[in-house]
Amino acid sequence: MSDNETLRIGVYVCHCGTNIAAVIDVEALTKFAEGLPHVALARNYKYMCSDPGQELVKQDIAEYGLNRIVVAACSPNLHEPTFRRAAEDAGLNRFLVQMANIREQVAWVTEDGELALEKAKAHVAGAVRRVARHEALQRQFVRITPRAMVVGGGIAGIQAALTLAEAGKEVVLVEREPSIGGHMAMFDKTFPTLDCAACILTPKMTSVKVNPNIKLLTYSEIESVEGSVGNFKVKVRRKPRYINEDLCVGCMQCIDGCVFTQAKFPNSFDQGLGMRKPVWVPFPQAVPPVPVVDPEVCLQIARGKCKQGCVEACGERGAFDFDQQEKIEEYEVGAIIIATGFKAFDPSVIPYYGYGKYPNVYTSLEVERLLNAGGPTGGKLILRDGSTPKKVGIIHCVGSRDVNYHEYCSRVCCMYSLKIAHLVREKTGAEVYNCYIDIRAPGKGFEEFYNRVQNEGVQFVRGKVADITPVANGSGPLVMKVDDTLLGHIREIEVDMVILAVALEPHADAGEVRRNFGISCSNEGFFLEKHPKLAPVNTANDGVLVAGACQGAKDIPDTVAQADAAAAKALAMIDAGEIELEPNTAWIDEEMCSGCKTCINLCPFQAITADEERKIAVIDQALCKGCGTCVAACPSGAAKQHLFGDRQIDEELEGLMNYV
Amino acid sequence: MAPPNGDKGTALLEKLSRIDSGKPPFGCMQCGLCAATCPLGPAMEYPPRKLILQTIAGNLDKVLTSPSLWMCVACYACSKRCPRGIELTEELWPALRDAAMQEGHQPPAELQETFQNVFKYGNVLGKSPRQRLQWAKDLDVRVLDLSKDPKPVDVLWLVGCYPSYYPRNQGVARSFARIMTELGVSWGILGTKEKAVGECDRMFGEEGLFETLVEQNRQLFDEQDFGKIVVLDPHAFRALQSFYPRFGAWYPVQHYTQFLEEYIEQLKPLMVKPVEAVVTYHDNCCVGRRCECYDPPRELLKLIPGVKLVEMSRNRDDSLCCGGGGGGMWLDAHIVANGGRRLSDERVQQAADTGADTLAVSCPYELSRFEDAAKVTGLEGKLKVRDIIELMAESMDLGERSIA
Repeated sequence: MSDNETLRIGVYVCHCGTNIAAVIDVEALTKFAEGLPHVALARNYKYMCSDPGQELVKQDIAEYGLNRIVVAACSPNLHEPTFRRAAEDAGLNRFLVQMANIREQVAWVTEDGELALEKAKAHVAGAVRRVARHEALQRQFVRITPRAMVVGGGIAGIQAALTLAEAGKEVVLVEREPSIGGHMAMFDKTFPTLDCAACILTPKMTSVKVNPNIKLLTYSEIESVEGSVGNFKVKVRRKPRYINEDLCVGCMQCIDGCVFTQAKFPNSFDQGLGMRKPVWVPFPQAVPPVPVVDPEVCLQIARGKCKQGCVEACGERGAFDFDQQEKIEEYEVGAIIIATGFKAFDPSVIPYYGYGKYPNVYTSLEVERLLNAGGPTGGKLILRDGSTPKKVGIIHCVGSRDVNYHEYCSRVCCMYSLKIAHLVREKTGAEVYNCYIDIRAPGKGFEEFYNRVQNEGVQFVRGKVADITPVANGSGPLVMKVDDTLLGHIREIEVDMVILAVALEPHADAGEVRRNFGISCSNEGFFLEKHPKLAPVNTANDGVLVAGACQGAKDIPDTVAQADAAAAKALAMIDAGEIELEPNTAWIDEEMCSGCKTCINLCPFQAITADEERKIAVIDQALCKGCGTCVAACPSGAAKQHLFGDRQIDEELEGLMNYV
Repeated sequence: MAPPNGDKGTALLEKLSRIDSGKPPFGCMQCGLCAATCPLGPAMEYPPRKLILQTIAGNLDKVLTSPSLWMCVACYACSKRCPRGIELTEELWPALRDAAMQEGHQPPAELQETFQNVFKYGNVLGKSPRQRLQWAKDLDVRVLDLSKDPKPVDVLWLVGCYPSYYPRNQGVARSFARIMTELGVSWGILGTKEKAVGECDRMFGEEGLFETLVEQNRQLFDEQDFGKIVVLDPHAFRALQSFYPRFGAWYPVQHYTQFLEEYIEQLKPLMVKPVEAVVTYHDNCCVGRRCECYDPPRELLKLIPGVKLVEMSRNRDDSLCCGGGGGGMWLDAHIVANGGRRLSDERVQQAADTGADTLAVSCPYELSRFEDAAKVTGLEGKLKVRDIIELMAESMDLGERSIA
């Protein structure tokens, strides 16, 4: 702004229906605004955000030559873009608009009308004095690298990657385990339709494998992330498989050839209930169908000495490479979808359920593996001693809905417990007792499934089991002690097997992922979406999206829907080709910068670097989020911020405090 | 909407919404974990879950007149496990008992007598305050009676009612005096001026009496110059740690197991005599489950040469209460008459099941409760009950001749 320019400010007071007008006397506020310095006109209107409301602003700019606009209405989070656009349409620079938030900060929180009016006056006066100091700014855009990365290869990651790839976009899919598939690959059936999990999942896994747009990196983890929306540089650590993926054809003959004739190491995919050899694949339909070698127990790697039956079996393909080293690869992507999933709660921390102490107490995930035809028992539900249980207890809410563990409801346990109850009855005919607090069946076809399982003869006991004790010492039957709150007395139910419906919780290293990608976690440790209702797959870091159970416990239908939503957001971003940056970034007044580097370490977004030659700090406008930390910290006043200049803030404060 | 019981119901609910620890009962989801956890739940007409349900529904007359109101022995198991974090033990039960007494529903007679004793004599046993120092008669170490000879000390030791008066516990008090002296601790006691801390009175809803005791004790404590309070009684520990500060009476306090643990290195070379025993330790409810202090007592026992420490199947968080807390000491008859059982009988059996020959305890109530239980269950002679202090003193060659 040049100091000679004649200021002509227009002030618009919104009624917001009755939201504002029922508390604040809008006429009096308008009259007050008219009397403020440089105010050319002041109006009030029922809904400023409506088309006629916006039109009013546009017409006034044209007719009265307004060159600054103040809208006294709701939070700038909601309609600031609306009025900036309206101003721009009328030929005014969009950053010469200021919102005075008289709804959230005044009308909704102030009961006394007179006091509310006074407070609203202060806000309007502050906004008027501030906007007088605003300067015209240029909108800034960055180009977007037309490639996305999906982190996590469970059903969420698979779905998101396929949607992007099918739209012709390049996708880098990173998975920590040797195969994609995630938890869904462990399940036997899925509720409430009882679809076979593998039957609906493996076609998608195969599609991932054959889609030329998808670069699949399994057995790989994120090392570091640099850059910002549109231009991320992600380093991926590729763990050695000791088998060359390009040469292996997935014949699995090496596993047969391994010098260990017996599989004797716990298979993590089978929750330790099944055994594997040092060279192994988690499950037959693994993608890629390439085994991995466990360096801890492989004789050749651990001791440097083995007959190498595996290499012999591989023969002239020569896929084995015991010298393979971990390597770091870097990928440039425009958007990132985080779909790292969940971890099943470990119930051994609850002393009264005796998990880990009594062999016949299982987690629900272990039972999924027992029920699965590809699992350690070939789909037979048998106890560790090989016998078939005649009575089975299922305890709901283990680790969920409990302030001592996780306060939240895990959302899927009721339904998977009903599914397990159904499968147990189907496979063994056992009597099944589902001990629950409340049955939560709010999805499509869920209530009907609940009803079906009831009619199949499953017993429902409303109460949280308080103790599990063995009938006699050793590994025999167990007694569940529970207050049957509907019968109104405490029961002791003898069962052969107890299944704990464990909670879904964030991965132990979710914090590290959060830091790497510059996003936030909610209290319980799941990744935080930008807005719970209106931006459910965006995060605080633009260009980083979330999908699936890493954002909060959810079932497969919701996960897939969210994955597609995230993919659509990524697509929209990539197809737009460029993205607008927030204008309120910080910048360095090079004349004033002494090169002390105070700001560099303070910047939470690593947006500031030192130009060692010129001895000044440099702020990357694409990385700066406008938090103002450097501005406040700079000892020489060289760090400045667009829309938050000293004079702008001073004037606003003056207006707020001395409005009368 | 006003609850059916009118003003008194409103007042109670109002009080319960302003509790000092845990969450108020209104968040109860009726899961019944408390009722099935409560060792006396199956015998109660209103086990914790139903107690909450009826209270919130306003059916106070039912719960206030039920014998089950006087069956909680303050083991904290329900509070510890409650998925909604509701503090039943320290808040709900005392508030309801207080309400019952205000309504004129009297607690069991034995308990009333205890209240009377505390009110009249300042101790639960109804003994004369002048006999408070009997335990220290002819003691071979110097006892500094601060009430007569006020001097700055590091440790103000509240001896407690049972260790002061009850013959079986007096030996523990003497041994503790010797151990502290051996460690060179500067300590003193309040002599005949000492009064009950009043934990059981508060837990039993005698709030008025408790407040009086807090006032009296505050005056006594404030006359002295000390670094911290050390107690033998876990209940007194809990009261001084949590209930006293609510009245602005804040004093640093330690249970003796916590206090002695700080001297572990110094104690090591003093353990000169092996005590050949297979020992299992019973976690008391106040220092154990409520305050999650499980390791210090075990660390002390491990110091003793010859001791082999074994664990009961129910230990630490999951320990079974002796049945003596929160006034339970004087409720055995009432509980048994209403279909309950003496938890101490069950607990000694659990101790014997480990193969241990010694049940180690760290609470004055437990010595007599478990010794009685051992007699009743036929374990007398097979299972000795000994305070950790006694075992340590024996190893340090400072023990009571008659017991060692």
